[in-house]
Amino acid sequence: MSTPKMARIGSPGRPAAFALAALLIVGAFAVNAFAPFVVVGIYTYFCVTLMMVLGLQMFMGNSGILNWTYIGFVGIGAYAASILSTAPALKSMGVPNMYPALVALQIPVVPALLIGGVVAAVIAAILAWPLMRLSDAVGVITLFAMLIVFHVIMTQWDNVTNGPRTFFGVQAFTTIWMATGAAVITLLGAYFFRESSLGLRLRASRDDRHAAKAMGINVVGVRYLTFVLSSFVAGVAGGLWAHYITSFSPKSFYVGEMFVLLTMLVIGGAGSISGATLGALLVTVMREGLRQLEGYLNNSGVINFEVYGLTELTMAVLLVTILIVRPAGIVGGQEFRFPRIGGKRKPAEAADSDES
Amino acid sequence: MLTVKDLYASYGAINALHGISLEVNEGELVALLGTNGAGKSTTLKSICGVLRPQGGSVEFLGEDLIGKKPEAILKKGISLVPEGREIFTSLSVAENLRIGAFSCYERDRYRYDLEEMFALFPILEERLQQPGGLLSGGEQQMLAIARALMSHPKLLMLDEPSLGLSPTMVDQIFDLIATLRDRGTTILLVEQNAERALRVADRAYVLKTGSMEFSGTPAELESELDIASVYFGGTKDGSGEVTV
Repeated sequence: MSTPKMARIGSPGRPAAFALAALLIVGAFAVNAFAPFVVVGIYTYFCVTLMMVLGLQMFMGNSGILNWTYIGFVGIGAYAASILSTAPALKSMGVPNMYPALVALQIPVVPALLIGGVVAAVIAAILAWPLMRLSDAVGVITLFAMLIVFHVIMTQWDNVTNGPRTFFGVQAFTTIWMATGAAVITLLGAYFFRESSLGLRLRASRDDRHAAKAMGINVVGVRYLTFVLSSFVAGVAGGLWAHYITSFSPKSFYVGEMFVLLTMLVIGGAGSISGATLGALLVTVMREGLRQLEGYLNNSGVINFEVYGLTELTMAVLLVTILIVRPAGIVGGQEFRFPRIGGKRKPAEAADSDES
Repeated sequence: MLTVKDLYASYGAINALHGISLEVNEGELVALLGTNGAGKSTTLKSICGVLRPQGGSVEFLGEDLIGKKPEAILKKGISLVPEGREIFTSLSVAENLRIGAFSCYERDRYRYDLEEMFALFPILEERLQQPGGLLSGGEQQMLAIARALMSHPKLLMLDEPSLGLSPTMVDQIFDLIATLRDRGTTILLVEQNAERALRVADRAYVLKTGSMEFSGTPAELESELDIASVYFGGTKDGSGEVTV
């Protein structure tokens, strides 16, 4: 053994994460300055959706467990933040049966968003206690069942959600800057989480649960903590979403919307932040493009029948194709790395000469 | 250092160990030999807490380990390199090593340790950012050993480190085991490859269907006991022919 040196480990994914964060900010400025009003809206919506996908990635991408209930936590955040931030007069009009105590409440939007996240996290903390002890397949089925339970509660609890009817009157608070800021923070947060010791333990447990246990990793514990954290992100993102869209109903927090988030995550690559971001971007662009195309086809009379569901169909085909051709997603299981400029790095060269 | 006394273990109704005893002293390399199903891996699992034995005692540095959780035993300084390696295939080599260091993590020491691992296993430095699953079998075995060493084990237990490796890789692994022994690492080695294991071991135990058949130095083992009888259940006559 020669004199002790300090090994340089490095973080190969870090440049990509920071580059993506910078791109988001530059994109926001560019869109805000040059693009038409509609595009500013799409970009804002994209950033909120990206925040949701990244929150989903934190748990699902690192643990390998398909979290169907995720969109339910988005819904909890949306309702909680909206109820807290909307003026009493508007609430008593929009939700006639709401509990008087809830009607009277009104706090500023930013704390309302955070409390929305906390409410989602607390509910997650209670439910995950038994859930994270289930084995993988059973756990996924239970999570799906939970989504149905959440949906039934949201559509039936008249006094809180206005039942299946639309909850309206929410302030249009979420600007492009708010949404971009939240997306950037979540992106960096999700990246550092992935590289953190908690994230690493979780990824190890995804690879091999028993080996992870043998290495002294508390598999249930790391899954539990991450599930709660991921639900907090879902809750805040839900609040932001509600304050952008301003009126919504429980159907926005069900299988259809969950499928969109899952498609985004799986197409790009659930295992990495760069994959989640790329997937969210691709699917958003595709959805908007197809929606335009669908509108054009139906209005221009180029074809003599109504086109319907083009977006869903294309997304489903894309998802299946990706799962067959590239199951780990476009980016793959590892974080995207920029190719090195200036050839190989030193240790590789040293090892090459060793082998000869 | 490690004293196992009268250990009984079973998988359901099947008794795997019928009261075995063994001892590992500090700085020793002890080989535990025997055929498939003799109870070698069961012994290791019982020591590191993955399997709860039915009876007997496992004492490490004066402390009773029976009933302790695997992570607690790992913290006490016993590290197992499991059979079939069990590295984390989607994590990079660097991340695998970081997990190994979790039980005693200190940032600066971690980096020194890493440098030490690179000296022992140059290939790991070259592959540092590659996923563990892309490594060859031998490289994965090295990674598994390096990962175990990152936790500064007082006792390193290797379960069939040569299993499924090419002959040159087997040589490398045994050279490495010898190097670790010379560095003063206490090792309990389980091997099918009895001949190779005996060449590096200070002492050896031979298990046969859950009972201790023999214990002694490799030289004693070779004079007193037919390796062939251990592995094939037969005896070797003067000409070297094995009759079952």
